[in-house]
Amino acid sequence: MTQSRREFLKNIGKLTAGAVTGVAAMPASAGPERHGGDPAKRWAMVLDLRKCIGCQACTVSCSMENQPPLGQFRTIVSQYEVENVDQPHKPVEVFMLPRLCNHCDNPPCIPVCPVQATYQQEDGVVLIDNERCVGCGYCVQACPYDARFINKETNTADKCTFCYHRVSVGLLPACVESCVGGARIFGDLRDPQSEVSRLIDTHDTKVLRPEMGTQPHNFYIGLDGRFVSKVQGRPPLWEIRDAEGEELEAL
Amino acid sequence: MSPHIIETLNITREPAWLPWAVQYFFLIGISLSAVFMTLPAFLMDKPKYEKIGRLALLTAVSCGLAAVVALLADLHQPARFWHFYAHFTPWSWMSWGSLLLPVFLTLLLVYAWLVYRADLGRLADRTQSVLSPVYRRLALGNRPERWLVRPLAVLVTLAALAIALYTGMEVMVVKARPLWHTPFLPSMYLFTGLVGATGVCLLLNRLIGDADPGVERTLNRFLLIALGLLMLNGALWLASALTGLSDPARRALAAMSGNTEWWTVAAWAGLSAIVPFVIAWLKPQGTGLITGLIAIHSAWMFRWTVFINGQMLPKTGSGLYPYHLPTGAEGLLGILGTFGLWVLIIVLLSVLLPWNGRPGPAEHAARR
Amino acid sequence: MTTTRRKFIQGAAAVGGGAAFAVGYTHTGEALVKGLLKGTSGKQTHSTLYGNAPEPEFSVDPASGELTLNPKQQVALTMCLGCNTMCGVRVRYEKDSERILRVAGNPYHPLSADPHIPYATPLKEALVSLSGYQGKGLAGRATACGRGAAVQQEVTSPYRVLSPLKRVGPRGSGQWEPIAFEQLIKEVVEGGDLFGEGAVEGLRAIRDLKTPLDPDNPEYGPKANRLAVIEAGGAGRSDFVKRFTFNSFGTRNYASHGSYCGFAMRAGSGAAMGDLKKYAHGKPDFSRCEFAIFIGSAPGNAGKPFKRQGRLLATARSTGELDYVVIDPAINNASSMAAADRNRWIPITPGTDSAFAMAMIRWILDNERYDANFLAQPGPQAAQAAGEAQWSNATHLVIVDENHPRKGHFLRASDLGWPVTEAPAVGKESPAQAKARKAKEAQEGTLDPFVVLATTGGKPRPHTGPGAATLFFEGALDTPNGPLAVKTSLQLLKDEAHRHSLEDYAEICGIPQRTIEQLARKFTSHGKKAAVDTHGGTMASNGFYNAFAILTLNNLVGNYNWKGGMSAGGGQFPAFGPGPRYNLKKFKGMVKPKGVFLSRSRFPYEKTSEFKRRKAAGENPYPTKAPWYPFSPPLLTEFLTSHFNGYPYSLQALISFRTNPLYAQAGLRGAVEDKLKDPKALPLFVAIDGFINETNAYADYIVPDSVMYETWGWIGIWSGYLTKASTARWPVLEPAQDKYQGEPINAELFFIEVAKKMGLPGFGDHAIADSEGHSYPLHRPQDYYLRAAANVAYAGTPVADIDDDELAISGVGRIMGDISKTLKPEETRKVAYVYARGGRFEDASRAYTGKRLTHAYKKHHLNIYNEKVGTSRSSVTGKRFTGTPTYVPQVFADGTPLEEAYPKSQWPLLLVSYKSNLQSSYSIINPRLTQVHGYNPVGINTQDAQKFGIKPGDLIRVTTPGGSVVATALVREGIAPGAVAMEYGFGHTELGARAHQIGDRRQPDSGGILGAGVNINDVGLADPKREGVSTLGDWVVGSAARTALPAKVEKI
Ligand SMILES: Nc1nc2c(c(=O)[nH]1)N[C@H]1C(S)=C(S)[C@@H](COP(=O)(O)OP(=O)(O)OC[C@H]3O[C@@H](n4cnc5c(=O)[nH]c(N)nc54)[C@H](O)[C@@H]3O)O[C@H]1N2
Ligand SMILES: Nc1nc2c(c(=O)[nH]1)N[C@H]1C(S)=C(S)[C@@H](COP(=O)(O)OP(=O)(O)OC[C@H]3O[C@@H](n4cnc5c(=O)[nH]c(N)nc54)[C@H](O)[C@@H]3O)O[C@H]1N2
Ligand code: SF4
Ligand code: SF4
Ligand code: SF4
Ligand code: SF4
Ligand code: SF4
Ligand SMILES: [Mo]
Repeated sequence: MTQSRREFLKNIGKLTAGAVTGVAAMPASAGPERHGGDPAKRWAMVLDLRKCIGCQACTVSCSMENQPPLGQFRTIVSQYEVENVDQPHKPVEVFMLPRLCNHCDNPPCIPVCPVQATYQQEDGVVLIDNERCVGCGYCVQACPYDARFINKETNTADKCTFCYHRVSVGLLPACVESCVGGARIFGDLRDPQSEVSRLIDTHDTKVLRPEMGTQPHNFYIGLDGRFVSKVQGRPPLWEIRDAEGEELEAL
Repeated sequence: MSPHIIETLNITREPAWLPWAVQYFFLIGISLSAVFMTLPAFLMDKPKYEKIGRLALLTAVSCGLAAVVALLADLHQPARFWHFYAHFTPWSWMSWGSLLLPVFLTLLLVYAWLVYRADLGRLADRTQSVLSPVYRRLALGNRPERWLVRPLAVLVTLAALAIALYTGMEVMVVKARPLWHTPFLPSMYLFTGLVGATGVCLLLNRLIGDADPGVERTLNRFLLIALGLLMLNGALWLASALTGLSDPARRALAAMSGNTEWWTVAAWAGLSAIVPFVIAWLKPQGTGLITGLIAIHSAWMFRWTVFINGQMLPKTGSGLYPYHLPTGAEGLLGILGTFGLWVLIIVLLSVLLPWNGRPGPAEHAARR
Repeated sequence: MTTTRRKFIQGAAAVGGGAAFAVGYTHTGEALVKGLLKGTSGKQTHSTLYGNAPEPEFSVDPASGELTLNPKQQVALTMCLGCNTMCGVRVRYEKDSERILRVAGNPYHPLSADPHIPYATPLKEALVSLSGYQGKGLAGRATACGRGAAVQQEVTSPYRVLSPLKRVGPRGSGQWEPIAFEQLIKEVVEGGDLFGEGAVEGLRAIRDLKTPLDPDNPEYGPKANRLAVIEAGGAGRSDFVKRFTFNSFGTRNYASHGSYCGFAMRAGSGAAMGDLKKYAHGKPDFSRCEFAIFIGSAPGNAGKPFKRQGRLLATARSTGELDYVVIDPAINNASSMAAADRNRWIPITPGTDSAFAMAMIRWILDNERYDANFLAQPGPQAAQAAGEAQWSNATHLVIVDENHPRKGHFLRASDLGWPVTEAPAVGKESPAQAKARKAKEAQEGTLDPFVVLATTGGKPRPHTGPGAATLFFEGALDTPNGPLAVKTSLQLLKDEAHRHSLEDYAEICGIPQRTIEQLARKFTSHGKKAAVDTHGGTMASNGFYNAFAILTLNNLVGNYNWKGGMSAGGGQFPAFGPGPRYNLKKFKGMVKPKGVFLSRSRFPYEKTSEFKRRKAAGENPYPTKAPWYPFSPPLLTEFLTSHFNGYPYSLQALISFRTNPLYAQAGLRGAVEDKLKDPKALPLFVAIDGFINETNAYADYIVPDSVMYETWGWIGIWSGYLTKASTARWPVLEPAQDKYQGEPINAELFFIEVAKKMGLPGFGDHAIADSEGHSYPLHRPQDYYLRAAANVAYAGTPVADIDDDELAISGVGRIMGDISKTLKPEETRKVAYVYARGGRFEDASRAYTGKRLTHAYKKHHLNIYNEKVGTSRSSVTGKRFTGTPTYVPQVFADGTPLEEAYPKSQWPLLLVSYKSNLQSSYSIINPRLTQVHGYNPVGINTQDAQKFGIKPGDLIRVTTPGGSVVATALVREGIAPGAVAMEYGFGHTELGARAHQIGDRRQPDSGGILGAGVNINDVGLADPKREGVSTLGDWVVGSAARTALPAKVEKI
């Protein structure tokens, strides 16, 4: 590993540690009180990237369960082809990165909301009241993870709810239920016996974009440093064509 | 460039702030900046600036009115605007904006009314049309108390400053967007607003004013200063990005650097500041239409770049999200609609109101 | 400015501005009004917080774990058909509307959960095991893959065929009229001038079981063989189709998609596993394997079983013990950077796998790194004594004397003049048992033992009995007829491996010699816990030897039947056989089909009249017009081309069922599409399908079929599992298509009604016999499938009876009426128990017995030298095939290397395809899936791109000798230099890509989006060395060549 990369990883590590443990150290930014949910719990997800096969069962199951408009997603597994910078003679590798709302402990999406339509529950779940939401899109701008979007059908902000409608009745989120590789692990961080707690205790986990100070509650195992923040890479090819090369309108 | 990482699968996010937002920020920026340009005439009572003051006032009012409508349209749930007032949220700049905006507009309208009041009275006397009772009523009696204009000027200036602050902060606090999250942004808004306002005045001077060459020269000089400030501000941002003093600026630049599309836009934006600057400097007279148009364009471009191109930058993914300006209300039609509204307001105001203190067309008609 | 002019301008400006405003803000205005009136400018959702997410199907109390069901919803366990993996899934639907809400996995099913829950687990407990209660659902996850979660959309797809259709206008015109089912049956059976294009022979006329279809070649069989029935196969309904085709109608010509699915692998595997009848195949035991090589298979990206392999691989590489490499021209999701220390991608030049494998074999043999203890055991007794779980023919002697009539055969006891004895029967046995025993003895050689050389003294001895034998020998043995040149199998393999140097092999396959050596060392460093796996990547023109060579590596480490080694699967509870309750195999009047398959397979050319005629005429009997395939099953790849070429003969009618060869078989569209358009060239084409696809778009009639969760069926698992399993497919929903006399019209009903109309045996009254000889009717699919279910329920130890509680919550209530009407009272609750669990599954705890797999592959022994292969000849060259693995380049049917016709200078690249990890070959039709990934840019290596002046995202034309397509270039490092890669599953022209006119209804226009991308098979090759129309196939076994196609690219 190069010196700079090691430094970088170390810093990322520190930042992560800071982000996760430094709840008290962070000045609580002004914002609404948490309400609803179970104060005895703190829901969180662990994403064990070693187990992710990029099958998108999570993506599709989420889409099926939550019925967002076609083409709008609450979660996706981004996929990358990565060159081995340290050992350039080695072949490239494939990297899968599930993304969804992090249900941050310091969520920047909430305080910006001018009507308090989006809020955090006591158990950490960040929700949106789509009857109060005015569709101003401010929270969409404020989320550093592109986790939110304006739902084309409801004209209000939308994002992952941690499937709270299922979780609150003792079930698992749709994406977790159907995770083929077993990469998505969901549970209560406050319960030291839970699988998420156990994994976080025993593994070197990272969060996405710790530098944003959001204290995300999706913890990644096997997250490469280059993917922690905005990925510097070549974007996907967005246009869609038929076999004659004619461009087509996406779904 | 041989990228070390290729994103092979991801999703795109569409901008949550549509071109409507560009229009709002563009118009409100011009409106509040124009308020400042009325001050020499109506706060400091410098008759030399009376014409400019009136042009600026018309600019402020017309842009301000068009702005709110654009803002409403940018809400995906416009009918729920009242939620802002039902759930005031002191920690949200947007919530403050929802309070400030009506205050500003009200003060601006009162201010304009006060300025026009004497003329309205005169109009009511001279016009023999259906409108004269309206004018009379609008004039609220016959004794124009000009002294009220100055405190109102102060108040509306304060409100304009508040709007400048809120619009600047609303965007600046968005840490998630490196292009927005910079202390240079509010001032940039202000300076581009001034540029735009000057541009509009230059244009109006030609189109509905009397194309006063003196006014044009003064406005072009104004423009020189505004553009100078804008370029300085821009340069400082760039420096902060290049030196790494500002992290968001650095990240914004890094995010854009690989992209030719972006550089074209940046070059364009740069040119649209430099070109009018040079023209206004070398030939301040007779160029008002050109400098004015380019200045307006420059102010608009800046906001377009910040909002639309800014939202094309994925926060986590690579490259840019694709964006094709939709032709419908969420795109081109919306942009045209806002401009249409603005033109309509300008025409109506200029036709119906004694905006320049001289007999309006209504009077002309009456006199015949 | 004059005042008027000014006024005009002002007016115009005002009007223009006002108009622009009005238009621009209409949307806002509408939103405002809608918002004021309805409270939202958009659509109302069920819940303010959760949008349109449905209510949960049940809830589990977090404290007590108590389950409460949602009375408005139903969860039912049945089978998925999102790809050919056929997983058990749980379908959750709204009871009132029968709207499917979501599909996930069946926790009892080994393909959906790992480990799957014990079969006896009460249903309620099964549901709790999926929940968040005590985190149970994390370990107990039962999943559907992305496709599996989306394919429910097929049920309500606007492109579904719901009524019987008859074409109007020319074939393929996309114009149909819905007709009554009776009319369809009548026209298909009786024929006539059906389309105003002249008389068409109906099925009744075609079914002539007596007259030879070709008097000159009586072995071709009767005229009835002029009907072919083709299907994808493997969806649990094939036995029914075969019952009609083979045994009721009596045509020889039934074929499934195997030959363009993965038959090269199956044939190669069959050769290495000593089974060229059923083409046995295995999969690594992922959970306990320590080192695996995947070459030409991509577990987790595709692979069968897709999900299970993906899950096992993910676990094995993270928390398990597995280290693995993926050898593939294109990197894919089988590897992962996040588990980088446990896996690696190694690029290979397409179509050169046998070079790589032969290099490995050579190194392993030269360095004596093979499992000598395993290979040296010549027979079952020796293996058992040596503690081995299988045995091989490595030590068996092969006659190599060129002039010996039995050249290529194993030396047998009788060759040495030893007395040949039959092993005594064990206990009392029925005639059937005796027959089976004798067959087994013949196969294992116990009747006439193979000859091996004793390790001490080197004396010949029979392979039976204890004690190891000599591995390497070449020389002459004394026989009663004089000395005879022989070699051991392993010696033959070594000689074959030595035909090229390691350097040469490395050069050919593009993998550095050092890497090969390292891999060979590593592969032989884990005892029996190392395995090599292959599949679709072998589908090249030299696919058979690629697969044979690759899979022989497993034999060298003797890993079959061991924990961590290779498994041939856990087997199934047979449904359609002569089962414990009903005999679904045999029936009165059953026809035994006769004759040569249309694909000239499983029939040595040397036995044909043609051969004899040519021989008698003194001419060289070789080459034939088209290759014969002595040890292949019926090959769908050859059906249509053979028919159109008239060699060996032509069809009168084709029935296709749920298959799409024009899309899925490389080069077929180019070869036969035009001919299919011509009704004279193929008089009758009836398709049974849920959709209009690239193939059945040319049909004369389409019979609507049930889709997904509406059908009946029973199926075992293909491979890659360790415990017995049978998956049930049953209609958990009311089928949406039209009904006939109250029964949904589907494939089975079509065959039943045709059979009844024609008075064929096996259908109608008294068609099915039970074990006591009573007979039962077959009028509806249920009559057959429910009895199959009874067979499954009673196999071995019968399952328990379902209790009332489970019956109420399982959703089986829907079919309980049918069950009790059809079955015997004592069977009903057992059958319901089986359906409630989505099938029958042996407990996961039964997977291992000590260090071995409980379900061992014992039917045949492993082959180092395959006698059948080594003694068969190519009907094109007349030469014998090599009986051991060997390196073969890409070739035409006559053995000429492809490169001679398509030189590198002109065709610098090799085009490969890989399965989409998301799409299957028809899943494009499901928008919730296609929204995630609906297009396939074509992968090209960075250096090649540079060479051809191609930048990322450029439009390129990809051309092969078979045609060209336009695509977007995905320039990447993850493609081997010299390769171009197309993801399979895109480039459709039907399945919604084209809107058909059905009566007065027009299918919705998808805007072409369902046809996005390219299909490699559209540029598949013909074989220019063959006469007539053809597609390029493997030169030995005839499987489709869909990879390593010569190609070039250019920027456009
Ligand atoms: N180049 C290339 N070619 C390939 C492959 C590859 O990887 N690369 N893969 C090969 C493999 S492995 C296979 S198995 C074959 C598959 O090829 P085939 O087995 O020939 O066809 P499929 O496309 O799987 O499906 C057949 C048809 O079933 C219909 N159908 C879909 N769902 C349902 C349903 O629920 N009910 C009914 N009744 N009908 C339904 C659709 O019309 C679909 O077109 O393709 C092969 N071709
Ligand atoms: N996602 C998904 N999964 C599926 C299916 C599906 O449609 N989609 N279909 C199922 C079916 S029917 C089947 S048969 C299985 C097949 O499963 P697999 O055999 O695993 O899949 P394939 O894509 O056919 O081929 C495997 C790999 O071979 C590589 N390959 C191509 N040419 C060559 C070559 O010349 N040499 C080598 N070494 N590799 C080569 C391809 O790049 C590909 O990665 O998958 C099943 N699972
Ligand atoms: S990920 Fe984004 S939307 Fe989710 S809580 Fe954090 S900031 Fe808010
Ligand atoms: S879009 Fe809705 S939730 Fe988001 S900030 Fe605006 S009102 Fe709040
Ligand atoms: S938790 Fe639910 S909403 Fe969130 S990504 Fe998973 S399935 Fe979607
Ligand atoms: S379902 Fe699981 S394994 Fe599949 S892509 Fe999603 S996170 Fe990865
Ligand atoms: S692998 Fe997926 S699509 Fe294929 S059968 Fe299983 S669940 Fe269905
Ligand atoms: Mo397949």
